[in-house]
Amino acid sequence: MKNSTRKIFISIILFWSLSPLIWQIYTSFSTPASLTEPIGTTLNRWTLDNYIQVLSANPSIFRYITNSTLLGVYTTLTTLLLAVPASYALIKLRKELRSLTRSILLLTALFPYVLLFLALLELAKSYNLANNLFLLSLPYSALSMPLAILILSSSLNDIPIELEEAAKMEGLNLLQRLRVVLLPLMKPALSSTSILVFIFSWNEYPIALTWLSKTEQLTLPVAIARLAGSSVYSVPYGAYAAATVIGAIPLLMVTLVFQKQIVNGLTQGALKG
Amino acid sequence: MIVLILPALILIGFIFGYPILRYIWISFHTSSVANGLIPQFNHGINWSRLINDARFWQDVLQTSRFAFVSVSLELVLAIAIALFLNQPFKGKGIIRAVSILPWALPTTIMALGWRWIFNSPYGPIDRIYNNLTGESLNLLSNPKITWIATVIADTWKTTPFIALIILAGLQTIPKDLYEAFELEGGTQFKALYKITLPMIIPYILISVVFRLAQAFGVFDLIQVMTSGGPAGSTESLGLYAYLNAMRFLDFGYSSTIMLGSFVLLIMGCLTVYCIFKMTKISIQK
Amino acid sequence: MTSLRKYLYGLIAVLIMSSWLIVSLAADQNTVKVNILMPAPFDDSTREIIRQFNKENQRKIEVNITRGPRETEAVSDLAISSLILGKSPYDAILMDVTWLPKYVEAGWLTPLDEWFTTNEISKVEEGAQRGNTYKGVLYRWPLVADIGMLYWRTDLMKKPPDTPYELVEISKELQKEGKVKYGYVWQGRQYEGLSCVFLEVITGFGGEWIDENGKVQLNENSNIRAVTWMNNLIKEGVTPKSVTNFSEPEALQSFKSGNAAFMRNWPYAWKELQKADSKVKGKVGVSTMVAENKENKTATLGSWGLAITKSSIHQNEVAEVIKYLTNEDSQRKLYSEFGYTPTASKVFNDYADSEENGILNNLRISLSASKPRPMVAAYAQISDILQRHLSAIFTDSKDVKKEIYKAQENTEKVMISAGIYKK
Repeated sequence: MKNSTRKIFISIILFWSLSPLIWQIYTSFSTPASLTEPIGTTLNRWTLDNYIQVLSANPSIFRYITNSTLLGVYTTLTTLLLAVPASYALIKLRKELRSLTRSILLLTALFPYVLLFLALLELAKSYNLANNLFLLSLPYSALSMPLAILILSSSLNDIPIELEEAAKMEGLNLLQRLRVVLLPLMKPALSSTSILVFIFSWNEYPIALTWLSKTEQLTLPVAIARLAGSSVYSVPYGAYAAATVIGAIPLLMVTLVFQKQIVNGLTQGALKG
Repeated sequence: MIVLILPALILIGFIFGYPILRYIWISFHTSSVANGLIPQFNHGINWSRLINDARFWQDVLQTSRFAFVSVSLELVLAIAIALFLNQPFKGKGIIRAVSILPWALPTTIMALGWRWIFNSPYGPIDRIYNNLTGESLNLLSNPKITWIATVIADTWKTTPFIALIILAGLQTIPKDLYEAFELEGGTQFKALYKITLPMIIPYILISVVFRLAQAFGVFDLIQVMTSGGPAGSTESLGLYAYLNAMRFLDFGYSSTIMLGSFVLLIMGCLTVYCIFKMTKISIQK
Repeated sequence: MTSLRKYLYGLIAVLIMSSWLIVSLAADQNTVKVNILMPAPFDDSTREIIRQFNKENQRKIEVNITRGPRETEAVSDLAISSLILGKSPYDAILMDVTWLPKYVEAGWLTPLDEWFTTNEISKVEEGAQRGNTYKGVLYRWPLVADIGMLYWRTDLMKKPPDTPYELVEISKELQKEGKVKYGYVWQGRQYEGLSCVFLEVITGFGGEWIDENGKVQLNENSNIRAVTWMNNLIKEGVTPKSVTNFSEPEALQSFKSGNAAFMRNWPYAWKELQKADSKVKGKVGVSTMVAENKENKTATLGSWGLAITKSSIHQNEVAEVIKYLTNEDSQRKLYSEFGYTPTASKVFNDYADSEENGILNNLRISLSASKPRPMVAAYAQISDILQRHLSAIFTDSKDVKKEIYKAQENTEKVMISAGIYKK
């Protein structure tokens, strides 16, 4: 490919991925009056009012970011806690049993989970599980478990069996073997899984929408969606934009820092599927 | 060994299995605001209502249209991006990071953004169209075209996801295959058909099936961007089920809609899977 | 490396512990805490009154307002999800008039008869008494009255039109003379506001949506004439095509900038139109919506009122709070500062000859002719059906009669499956 064509290609990709984000940032710094003339110049185009408005709201947007972060941490920890032993067991299973389990996991990973929300809501009602971020991490873990097990077991598969055998000879029990030999070797897969599970739980919407009804417990996606409505008085687009910009920053950072792990996780999950 | 995998399987089985069983049971009951949400057996009225519900079938068509068009579009774009990213060049890491951003951001956040971008008359798209033609595009209030706006938003978000999976597939193709092909006098373009595409078919298959299933369950994007309007032209099955449960308080019918969608989805996925299996065989021949 | 990891584990442990601590430390004191869910705009307007109440009742009752979303439907979604989950965190909910039957049928609300006597009800202006009872029992106490009004330009005409045909005639003339770009702006997007507009217009043409026996009457001829009239507004350019994307703010924006001769909107718009940035300041009058016959003139009732949830454990205290929030002093404050329509006859009387009257006398007339939307538990569904079919007519140029017949059929289906009536 020629250098010039490549440059064109790069700019198209950049434009396509970034322009909606840039438009949001642009809107978030615009005064309400200038929003009615988005292209072209008006006086008093720029303002920080939208941000002041969003940041002074009660509860503050940082509360929602904290909630989402906590939920992400709980979910990631629970998922790993269950998925690591499960993936170890999976590769030791008999062949037929293994491929059966794997197909089941794959099917559940494909399931459009939005269809589960009503029954989960009823569960939350009967057992008083609602409005608790830690308990919400349980269905989240279940939803991300299939992918986690598939990624982790594929990385375990790549570890030469001799390594573990040698450790066994030295008298290490299963827990020790995991800690000393296997987990360090699985580190790339572990970090990929964690980051994917974290992103999933950070972004999840339908279940959070129905499980959380207390304002101070809301996660970011639900809180943002709740902003979407207008009242009879006005349509505060500038404030929406400011909220979405602030809300996007945490994941923006996560993605940029962990892009390698994200890519590896996605591709490994697909590879063995 | 079994002990180690059981906790995970039990949790998965419970969170996925219980709802389905519950839906099957409740879909044969009336459980709505009309009877104080206490389930009463109703001899399958929900199911006959579903079969005669024009809105359900309209949503089936609309959801399938959304899923097929956006996934096809995403697939084409993703293959192009993956082929491009598979070449060595400077600054590749940054491009890759930027291109996965849309996928990583919460859907609701960007759905709100798209609503503003497609807004008429103040959004940029409408402004540009207006300057070119002198008319308003009304992208979000014209039942004939609003669904396209939702497809664009979805394509923007999930193309990177497919591209990465296909990229992984491309990286498994040994370089010497191409060299051998070139020695035999094949052109680069032919190599694409003869080597690249057949080799990445499994990756395309998995991502297409996965994306079709997810797109069929589209909910967040539609709810925030259009709320199913105008004239119900973008309503998806997920949203219809949600409305029945949370707004109309008809749990029985909502469960029936979800089960019905699930059955249709399985049938759809099987069809797609079979088609791909057949084409794969024919390509390899 | 290892120290970093240890630090990370420590951090995570602290995070988990602290969040549990916050949950378990939920305060437990002697003052009764009353939590009320309100849409965001009402949180703003009642803040001062609530502050005053908390000051007067220190250590006894403490009111806390949960600020809901801005959009009516989103507030309802929030309320419903918390009510479905059982232990609702709210003792009272500020409710739109249309939610009442559904909430009552679901068993979520407490009857208010114990606290609000017939004597107290009689002090409320007759129109504002509507929409608070379901099957004869009082469940909701009105905070503000709200009705759909016709806004007209006093600088462009001597008196407002009485009939739909006059409205079109005046509009076309003004448009021809180039005095306004559009004749009449209203709410035409597919949402609840469209149902409100619809109810006013069909009543004006002598039609009905659901009659008092609960029978669906959409396919009446007068309804078809009414919808045809609405559709022609758009077709003939009296109303801009983009009205199908209009909710209240867009209609207000258009009227405020002097683009239109008429607007359908709620009373709040009056105050907005008198602000400095309004191009029609001092040139606006209000009247009841046009109708073919004077007797058919009506205004859709859109009031907000407070209801006590069944799960509340402080119902007496909640009732006390509701009485305070809706007393005549509060009504005066809400009217003079935010332009909210009062509900007590006395407040209307007090303002009758005052300079602060504004449009209050007109509102009173319209209020007496007001009409609630159908009070049935399945209202959300039937309104949704109606909106879809109206939207299909206005945006997709579908045949009026065909769509209305379809709406009739689908509404009947819903009413039957909801067990409201048998065909």
